[in-house]
Amino acid sequence: MIRTNQLSFSYDEQQKILNNITLEIPTSKFSLLIGPTGCGKSTLLKILAGLYPKYAGKVSGTVELDGLRSAMMFQNAGEQFTMATPREEIIFALENLQLSNDQYQDRLSAATKFTQIEQLLDQKITTLSGGEQQRVALAVLVAMDVDLFLLDEPFASCDPEARQFLITKLAHLRDKGKTIILTDHVLTGYENICDYLFQFKRDNVTLLDEASKNELLHDSQQEHTYTFALPENETPCFVLTNAQVEQNRILLKQDHLSIIAGKTTLITGANGVGKTSLFNVLTKMLPYRGSITYDKREIRNQTTRKYLLEVGQIFQTATDQFIAVSVEDEIKLSLKQAKDSYFTEEKIAEMLDYLDLGQTKDQVVYSLSGGQQKKLQILLMLISSQKVLLIDEPLSGLDYESAQKVMNLLHESQKQRHQTLLIISHELTNLADWCDYHLVFSNHYLTYSNK
Amino acid sequence: MNPSFKFLLALIISIELSLKTSLTTNLLVIVFAVVYLLTQKIKFKSLLFTLLTPLIAAFTIFATLYWFAPQPNLENALSLSSRIYVYTLTICCVSIKTTAEELARSLEQNFHLPSKFAYGVLAALNIIPQMKRAVKQIRIAGMMRGVYLSFWSPVLYFKAILVALNSAENLAQGMESHGYVEGAKRSVIVAVSLKTSDWLWSGVILILVNLALFTLK
Repeated sequence: MIRTNQLSFSYDEQQKILNNITLEIPTSKFSLLIGPTGCGKSTLLKILAGLYPKYAGKVSGTVELDGLRSAMMFQNAGEQFTMATPREEIIFALENLQLSNDQYQDRLSAATKFTQIEQLLDQKITTLSGGEQQRVALAVLVAMDVDLFLLDEPFASCDPEARQFLITKLAHLRDKGKTIILTDHVLTGYENICDYLFQFKRDNVTLLDEASKNELLHDSQQEHTYTFALPENETPCFVLTNAQVEQNRILLKQDHLSIIAGKTTLITGANGVGKTSLFNVLTKMLPYRGSITYDKREIRNQTTRKYLLEVGQIFQTATDQFIAVSVEDEIKLSLKQAKDSYFTEEKIAEMLDYLDLGQTKDQVVYSLSGGQQKKLQILLMLISSQKVLLIDEPLSGLDYESAQKVMNLLHESQKQRHQTLLIISHELTNLADWCDYHLVFSNHYLTYSNK
Repeated sequence: MNPSFKFLLALIISIELSLKTSLTTNLLVIVFAVVYLLTQKIKFKSLLFTLLTPLIAAFTIFATLYWFAPQPNLENALSLSSRIYVYTLTICCVSIKTTAEELARSLEQNFHLPSKFAYGVLAALNIIPQMKRAVKQIRIAGMMRGVYLSFWSPVLYFKAILVALNSAENLAQGMESHGYVEGAKRSVIVAVSLKTSDWLWSGVILILVNLALFTLK
């Protein structure tokens, strides 16, 4: 049994992230922690992993791990690696555990088979996609053969198949006697696998009873089917002709594609297929071959500064978007550039309250929780009022309620201002009902789909 | 040759040659270094690059000592400016077949350098491509919000430093979460060999350099 007793945590004097949490998490079981963004789930994991208070904050109360050796996988897996390739990282970790070469060979082959990363072993980690990095991070933990797996949103950038695959794998680990504790905002795929469900709610953590757990997990298991229209001769915004994008390998090879102006297009596809790279090409961060035009002009020939005032990207990682220091400064910066009167000062204040950011105006943006940063980021880019917004995983790291609010905001703005939105998302609830078109990215090719 | 030996050899030769002036030895070292690089199949373009870039520094030193000195001394000017090539080319010989990982591992295993230092430097090296991308992304993010961040803009560096600090902190936590404990014993999975021939080669090269240094002018 893992026990916390009267556990409190705070970064500074003012606000407690965790308040008197007394918990018992059974060992050799699969436990899922859920709750709104900023509720302290990640913090609890970092305390269990022994990283806090060593690296940040103050802790009171006690934690007992029952003698388990633990290792943690971070929300942003890419930031966790010391070495350049997965193989070297596994060597590094196993040397830390003082294993011999023979043991290493066994563990390496077991871990790579288990997570199916054979083909990634000697690639540079920086060139892997977010989902692939998460898979590698899991492989390292499997190779380390720890007793307690602490996983912070381990599937945030995984497509549904990869997600299901990894959840099943974690269940196997549990069956072998490992303790799995993970946080997630999406509940699909856990039915019949998750043993215990802990819900974080305003300073409090409760263990749901069997019936309510099953109900919650069952509800989110429902497969939704969506239908989309197919575009017919509408005004295009982007036109790709014999376009090719490469990054160590070919990502996109498209003879022809029009992306429709003034509409919302959803883009889905497996991990690492090149969705984010496509966005980076469209915002001139990556080169391309062939022709890609925006508004009938070749993208590579346009002045970057002018072009980016028309085509904006909402990055996967919220902090990448921030330029200023405080929330208020960020908003002022966006407002200065706003080209229409959609966002007035009053409207912004109202929106901040709506997104539960009203109290954060004087805060440093980097001190906000992951979910708060995401909400602020999307608001800022809507205020900036680009005609085209490329939105990369807008719902990752957001709880159900926040996700719904963010979607409302995007939908409303699109409707009123006729923006062209391109959205990459693995999470379709709340989103698929109002997207006009659906592009499926697979085998280096984008195709419109009506499903 | 063992990576640490290569590195130390280059270091000792460079230090010795910067303490005692000997134009002939400088030239000999330069010639041998270029020949070595050629035997290691260096690309012509990289060789040209390694030869041309130090030219600016070498030329400046030569100009200062030969044209602008009160008592110009051709030999002195040549020997000081050729040192630049000694430094760059010897280090080039080290880096051509040795990766940073190999050197760090070797320093840790053969010379018992604290692992904190070895892996700290490695991790920092691995952050470089990340930083490059980050800087590009910061500039793009700025332009989307109507802010143009030039390469001397304080905001760009403020953001870049934030990214670096953040990465450093995450890295420290990442290393720890992968079982790294400062000062703890680690095993050796990829052993870096230290052969008798490494000692022999280093000894012979050092003796030859010293012979040249103290007998030739």
